[in-house]
Amino acid sequence: MSRVDLQHINKSYPGVKALDDVDLTVNSGEFFTLLGPSGCGKTTLLRAVAGFNTHDSGRILVDGKRIDNVPAHRRNIGMVYQDYAIFPHMTVADNVGFGLAMRRRPRQEIAERVARVLDLVQLGGHAQRMPHELSGGQQQRVALARAMVINPQILLMDEPLSNLDAKLRVELRDDIRDLQRSLGITTIYVTHDQEEALVISDRICIMQSGRVHQIGGPQEVYARPATLFVASFVGAMNVMPDLPVGQGGEIKLGDGGCTVQALAGRGTVTLAIRPEDVVLRARPDKAVVLGGAVDKVTFAGREAFYRLTCDGDRRVLAHVYRPDQGQLESAGVRVDLAFPLARLHFFDPADGRRIEASP
Amino acid sequence: MIPRMRFDFWTGVLLLALAVIAVLLVWPLSSIMTASFIDNRTGAATLGNYARVLGQPFFQDALINSMIVGVGGMLGAMALGIPLAVLTTRYVIRGRDMLATLAVLALVSPPFIGAYAWIMMLGRNGFVRLPLEELGVPVPPIYGLFGILLVFSLKFYPFVFLLASSSLRTINPSVEEAAEGLGAGAWRRFFKVTLPLVFPAVSAGALLTFVLSIADFGTPAIVGGRVRVLATTAYNLFTSEMTGNPGLASATSMVLIVVSLIVVALQRWSVGRRNVAGAMVRKPVPKYLGPFASAAAHIVCYGIVLVSSLPSLVVIYTSFRKTRGPVFQAGFGFESYERILREVPHVISNSAVYSLVSVALIVILGTLIGYILARRESPMAGALDGALLVPYIVPGVVLGLAFVVTFNVKPLELTGSATIIVLMLFIRRLPYAVRSSASILKQIKGSIEEAAISLGAAPGRAFLKITLPLMIPGVVAGALMSFITAINELSSSLILYVGRTMTMPVRIYLSVLDGEFGTAAALSTILLGATGLAVYAVFWVSGRNESAFV
Ligand SMILES: Nc1ncnc2c1ncn2[C@@H]1O[C@H](COP(=O)(O)OP(=O)(O)OP(=O)(O)O)[C@@H](O)[C@H]1O
Ligand SMILES: [Mg+2]
Repeated sequence: MSRVDLQHINKSYPGVKALDDVDLTVNSGEFFTLLGPSGCGKTTLLRAVAGFNTHDSGRILVDGKRIDNVPAHRRNIGMVYQDYAIFPHMTVADNVGFGLAMRRRPRQEIAERVARVLDLVQLGGHAQRMPHELSGGQQQRVALARAMVINPQILLMDEPLSNLDAKLRVELRDDIRDLQRSLGITTIYVTHDQEEALVISDRICIMQSGRVHQIGGPQEVYARPATLFVASFVGAMNVMPDLPVGQGGEIKLGDGGCTVQALAGRGTVTLAIRPEDVVLRARPDKAVVLGGAVDKVTFAGREAFYRLTCDGDRRVLAHVYRPDQGQLESAGVRVDLAFPLARLHFFDPADGRRIEASP
Repeated sequence: MIPRMRFDFWTGVLLLALAVIAVLLVWPLSSIMTASFIDNRTGAATLGNYARVLGQPFFQDALINSMIVGVGGMLGAMALGIPLAVLTTRYVIRGRDMLATLAVLALVSPPFIGAYAWIMMLGRNGFVRLPLEELGVPVPPIYGLFGILLVFSLKFYPFVFLLASSSLRTINPSVEEAAEGLGAGAWRRFFKVTLPLVFPAVSAGALLTFVLSIADFGTPAIVGGRVRVLATTAYNLFTSEMTGNPGLASATSMVLIVVSLIVVALQRWSVGRRNVAGAMVRKPVPKYLGPFASAAAHIVCYGIVLVSSLPSLVVIYTSFRKTRGPVFQAGFGFESYERILREVPHVISNSAVYSLVSVALIVILGTLIGYILARRESPMAGALDGALLVPYIVPGVVLGLAFVVTFNVKPLELTGSATIIVLMLFIRRLPYAVRSSASILKQIKGSIEEAAISLGAAPGRAFLKITLPLMIPGVVAGALMSFITAINELSSSLILYVGRTMTMPVRIYLSVLDGEFGTAAALSTILLGATGLAVYAVFWVSGRNESAFV
């Protein structure tokens, strides 16, 4: 169990700033996820911690000790790769025992620890198999066992699930989470799948173009996205950009509107609301209510998805849960939609930062 | 503080590699370059050598002949290689694997053996010429351009054949069918779709045969007659006692280097743009031909391959003919073998020892350098990559001359030693091993080795325990290839040898010049046997993959 401090890490490749002043702390025992679109620098950051990339400036500390100059093989960090990186010419047991052999542990001890960790990842009977005799999911379990058996100070995982099919992904995701909890290994996990990040993480760090946008627990980043980018990357979001704001903070949306004091004095604001927060037909208090029309309805059992048009040609998505309990609107029908004020997010159009509006 | 450079195992390898290249390539080539600017008599700096090489008809002829030989060899190789490739990949030809194996054998057997076998067949008293002439078939004289082009075409067509067929085999038939569906007829389809797809591979093979043709020394030396090319001219200028002129030889060499450089640059450029490998959904299936067309196709394919195998058969046959001294008698016997074992047993052991030692060095350093090029991006690795192109460009004669010019004075006085021959073989064939190990490495995922490092293996250890075992089949194939080329090396050994360090190819060359065809044939048969065994071994480790030879 170790705490990791990344202090002002910068890294440039020719033409790209891969890491832009990344500064964060991963607490001891925490499951910490780096989330962001392709090319945002997640792998670069992870590999800097592992010691495979050098960074241009900044410091990496583990339990307060600088490790920037410690070569990768002395860092005692476990790493799990997207492509498994299983040694194809070694049995499962030899793969898993490799790190212990490198540490010159006695044979007896290696055998015992390998057997124990293989049981943990539910591969107890497969010790003598060759990697090509295993499925992708099993190979990734071997990789996980191999990284954990050395009792690493930190476990790093770079999109470990993205080569697996959907069902296995969910299964292994839960197993990884349970194992990490029970062993308490500080883990940095990389993914570009926001749902995976929300499910698995203690805290999530959302990155874009080498910059950190927000660090917070799953609920926090979902409910209070710090930037417009986070808002639209994590979960779905209806975004209404660049709405004019009146002197007193009045916003007009179609035939509805509201007044938000916190916005007074701003020229424009970007407004956002999640599809599941959009209310159809009902007219709650403290909400922007405006007329719209249903374009398309998709019924998916547990929920229904609406695509609506309002305020001229503005597209709005709405999710309705338990649609069987009410009546489904059909395409072409005019409905009122309501955006409850408490559910609205406001962002500064200039820099995309969140504007706190609610008291 | 950061960025920093870690001095690890690989940094050491990189420095070693750069040192080897500095000593064995940069230094000799700059010596010969310097020598090309020095007047032979006065020792003063001059451009006179170049003025003579580019101005005098004697040299101009050599340059023109080199170009003729290069272009002719290339066209001949294409004329044989492309039809063979198209027929064997598109249609059902019985014994295709055997044809490919024979083509590979023709490719790896040394060209000078082909040259002298053709003399035995088509020379003034050749056993093929006489019957043909009796039948009234005119046969052009073998000595001269005809002989050179004949040997080159039959020797180098397998490059075109192998490259073109592997490229033809990767064309997804759906692409051609799509073209057909869009209304393209058979010919339009071939010219608009198929040809553009195989063109890069074919042109790369063709330019390769051009470079090899102008660099080859043995063939024009043996069948050239009075036709001089740049390679033989440089050699004669350097070695002849009477008219020897190192300055002029060096200037001739520089011209040869420049010509090769231009062509290799062209080749790299065409290979660099070769990026047609698409997703292989379906493999093309060879079609059956009608009986007449099929017979014709078989005749063409077997004709090409058998004629190109003829020299080897002739050589083996000749080696078992009964001889008294240099004169053949009726019947068969082992006199030729007895003679070589009695008179020159050391050339056999020399060839074996020099090739094995140089291959060992090539494998060790080549594998490590291949690793650096494949896995470690740095400006120095880039420089290394560039420097390793040099042996492709510099013909053996030229590098041989450069070695003599360079290593004949202290502190590195090596002329006349076995070391100099081993070093020459080493540096000439090193790039092939580097390239093959780099290309295997590109197929092994880098994350595997990183995983080992993060599990606590130091970088050198991770390489030895994880990557190396995965590379072994490719490395062994590369080693065998290096062995084949090393044991058959003639041009540079001819310049560097002394009596004690004579090798089989050198002895064969000298025997042919002396008219000792029996001993030449026996030595050639031994060479062919060693080469054939190595080819068999390559097939064995690479799972019958003919493209391992290109
Ligand atoms: N070796 C390199 N040389 C040059 N640029 C690089 C190199 N490695 C990464 N980059 C660039 O740095 C940026 C960050 O890359 P990185 O691999 O960290 O992205 P990522 O967030 O892991 O993306 P993905 O989700 O696709 O894996 C990208 O723009 C990438 O093109
Ligand atoms: Mg990545």
